[in-house]
Amino acid sequence: MIRLSGIRKTYGKTVALDELELEVREGEFFCLLGPSGAGKTTTLKTVAGLEQPDSGTVALGGEDMRGVEPYDRGVAMCFESYALYPHRSAYDNLASPLRSPRHRLPAAEARQRIGAIAELLGISGLLDRPVGQLSNGQRQRVALGRVLVRPARAFLLDEPLSHLDAKLRQQMRAELKAIGAVQHTTTLYVTHDSVEALALGDRIAVIREGRIVQTGTREEIWYRPHDTEVARAFGRPRINLLPGVVTERGVRSEGGVELPVRAPVAPGTDVLVGLRPRDIALHGGDGHELTGTVYVTEVLGRSVEVTVRLGTGEQRVSLVAPRADAARLRPDDPVRLVVRPENLLLFEADRPERPGRRIETQP
Amino acid sequence: MRKHLVGWLCDAALVLYFLFALFPIAWMVILSLKPADQLFSTYFSFSPTLDGYRTVLGDSEGIPFVRFFVNSLVVSVGAVVLSLVVGLPAAYASARWRFKGSENLMFTLLSFRFAPELTVIIPLFVLYQKLGLFDTYVGMVWVLQLVTLPLIVWIMRSYFADLTPELEQAALLDGYTRKQAFFKVALPLVKPGIAAVSLLAFIFAWNNFVFPLILTSNEAQTVTVGALSFLGGDRPKYNLTAAAALVSVVPPLLLALTIQRYLVRGLSFGAVKS
Amino acid sequence: MRLALRPYLLIVPALLLTCGILYPFGLGLYYTLFDFSASKPQPDMVRFENYTTVFTQEAFWNSAWVTVLYAVGAALAETVLGVAVALLLHRSTLVGRVLEKILILPLMIAPVIAAIIWKLMLQPSVGVVNYLLRPFGLGGVQWTDTPTGALLSSIAVDVWVYTPFVAILALAGLRSLPASPFEAAAVDGAGWWYTFRRLTLPMLWPYVLVAVIFRFMDSLKVFDIIYALTEGGPGDSTVVLQIRAYLEAIRFQRYSFGISYTIVLWAVVYLAAMVLVKHLGKIQRKAAEVTT
Repeated sequence: MIRLSGIRKTYGKTVALDELELEVREGEFFCLLGPSGAGKTTTLKTVAGLEQPDSGTVALGGEDMRGVEPYDRGVAMCFESYALYPHRSAYDNLASPLRSPRHRLPAAEARQRIGAIAELLGISGLLDRPVGQLSNGQRQRVALGRVLVRPARAFLLDEPLSHLDAKLRQQMRAELKAIGAVQHTTTLYVTHDSVEALALGDRIAVIREGRIVQTGTREEIWYRPHDTEVARAFGRPRINLLPGVVTERGVRSEGGVELPVRAPVAPGTDVLVGLRPRDIALHGGDGHELTGTVYVTEVLGRSVEVTVRLGTGEQRVSLVAPRADAARLRPDDPVRLVVRPENLLLFEADRPERPGRRIETQP
Repeated sequence: MRKHLVGWLCDAALVLYFLFALFPIAWMVILSLKPADQLFSTYFSFSPTLDGYRTVLGDSEGIPFVRFFVNSLVVSVGAVVLSLVVGLPAAYASARWRFKGSENLMFTLLSFRFAPELTVIIPLFVLYQKLGLFDTYVGMVWVLQLVTLPLIVWIMRSYFADLTPELEQAALLDGYTRKQAFFKVALPLVKPGIAAVSLLAFIFAWNNFVFPLILTSNEAQTVTVGALSFLGGDRPKYNLTAAAALVSVVPPLLLALTIQRYLVRGLSFGAVKS
Repeated sequence: MRLALRPYLLIVPALLLTCGILYPFGLGLYYTLFDFSASKPQPDMVRFENYTTVFTQEAFWNSAWVTVLYAVGAALAETVLGVAVALLLHRSTLVGRVLEKILILPLMIAPVIAAIIWKLMLQPSVGVVNYLLRPFGLGGVQWTDTPTGALLSSIAVDVWVYTPFVAILALAGLRSLPASPFEAAAVDGAGWWYTFRRLTLPMLWPYVLVAVIFRFMDSLKVFDIIYALTEGGPGDSTVVLQIRAYLEAIRFQRYSFGISYTIVLWAVVYLAAMVLVKHLGKIQRKAAEVTT
């Protein structure tokens, strides 16, 4: 449905988008995840026709969009800055698309439509207020409403939940995908929040320095991350990355720690082994056993983040354990950890200045 | 106690400055109300009369002051309108798009603001006489662009630059054309700026002296030159001069008081924003 | 293609108008290479003779000197007075708030009208200024009738008109200064003078400098005030460059020669602008350092 190929966009000497490739399928909810400055907003604006790429093509529904004006592309966009008309009321802002030559509705019908959307977003009571008097969260919902109020071939949403407070954000996140319009409209959703991306995205693309690093379902991204940076982007606490050397039997890390990962890599190669904190069990279970001593514990509500010093060395890993299991742990207590070999990830470590690529492991 | 005294002294200093600033205006009012025979015999005690104004506005003394006033109005409004029509698109374009030549144009315009007027006027004086533009409205409106166009373009550019382009982008995605986005979104938001800068440009055009002095003689002459002609002759008519001066400062003063809030940006060509 | 053209289409009218203004300027420049005057409508090419004449004329150097005196004197006086007024208004006392509303009045009066007003007031025998000074034993000052008096009087009128300009910009600057450095200084127990010299002045200076640039460059090309107040007299004592150009070109109708004067003045203004604007950039960076 949305297809970007070979998109390059520069502003003077800075490269915003560098040979960017992206494909969003019909009806899909697609999340574009990346840190600020990665080119997320530029990507959206390129799709919308608000930015002209230096090279590359944008296609919507199979049609090349070169030379097609933004208003003829039939996409709706929610700006991170809201882009609401400050001199008009929330109602007028919502009505703006419905009064335009392309999406005009009779006033009565428009009123009904706006009422429904406002109801959905919980801003019915604010419609008469000038936008200037609304809080950031309220403005963000008005901005979202302006997108949803009219039919579109695709929704382009730029961090539409970022300014909401934590509770409202969680609630809206749940509701957003339930909205009928969103369910059957292709949506390209930009965020810097990996939790949001995992919760919402049918598929997720990770963008970094103007390039798409990886595209996939949440399972693919989670279990087969392209590189260490992608692995680190998802999951809190962050994934543990243990430096080690490939041996005949697996990977040996500092302090006599042996990890049972097999890969088609020559022995003696430097690698990084990734262990997700939630994949490390504190007590028993099947799998490979590691020993260590408690370094520090931190209570996170019902669970506890335990940092353990592995083996006899200084290498540390974090894990998350139920509170009941970890409550009595004190620093320097000896612990036995269990990891399942299939949960271990292996990454290249030969170029320390770049994120290490994942190496396919063998069962 | 000492603090009190300092505060009092500061206020006194302020009042002193404002006496200096306002007394001349007050004195003009007084002079203009004096009857001709009491002009030089008294200073503050006299029997006030509107004869001075009657004479000035009655076109006696052979000076068609009312016509000068109308001329000022016509050429100033004309100059501002032309500058707006031509300058607003340029200001918008240069604020929105970085493109070749835009900065050059902007700085050429700014240099007009600081160029000695006579550099242009003397050739124009020769040129206008050839073209038949000497002493005409068209000639005046044209040359006044030197005053109004740089002001309007530079200040409106700073207003447009302050508007995030995303507002217009949002309008495009709402289904409006670029023209509609400009007229329905950008323009209403800078309307106060346009109003203020238009009035300021009007004031500067109205107050201009050197252009009408050299490029008009009678038909298109304006109040600034007209007021000065009351000083001519063997016996200066102080009361008439004062009345003419006052009449010609009324429009700019009234307008200035309405745009106080916007003056800082206007006067500094957008270099200082309040 | 269409997208790339759009901004150009929008500036076309302004471009044309600008060319329309540049044309006489270029024409003027061209004229200076001839000996064009009312008495010689079919001029001959004289190359740079007009300029060499300008630079070898004593009258030119006199005018240049008077112009510099006027510009420096006026800009300096307006800056000092304007900043002082702004500081006083910034205290926001009741008196200040009332007076602030009428601060701009002199600035909005046409300079030529201001000169007329002052001319009436400064008239030696019947002017009101001498009348008011009489009780102090100064009733007979020959304001515009002595060379020094005429120059000082012209500067005074300039100061009267343009001090509000500096004050308005300085006041806007004062009001936009960040509060935290001042609070920190107050906590440290810094005195008024120290705060003023170390904080207010360096942070305010960029604003003031904008005003100074405008004022200095404008007063280099002063015309209206002097034309109405002294017409360059007495003698040559207030013949600034634009007045000289006016006399040569319009009064004596030696067009080419008159324009040469304005071209020289234009070059001076341009140079002054370059130097000042460069300085402004430096000052702005320094002020930014004080703030952070």
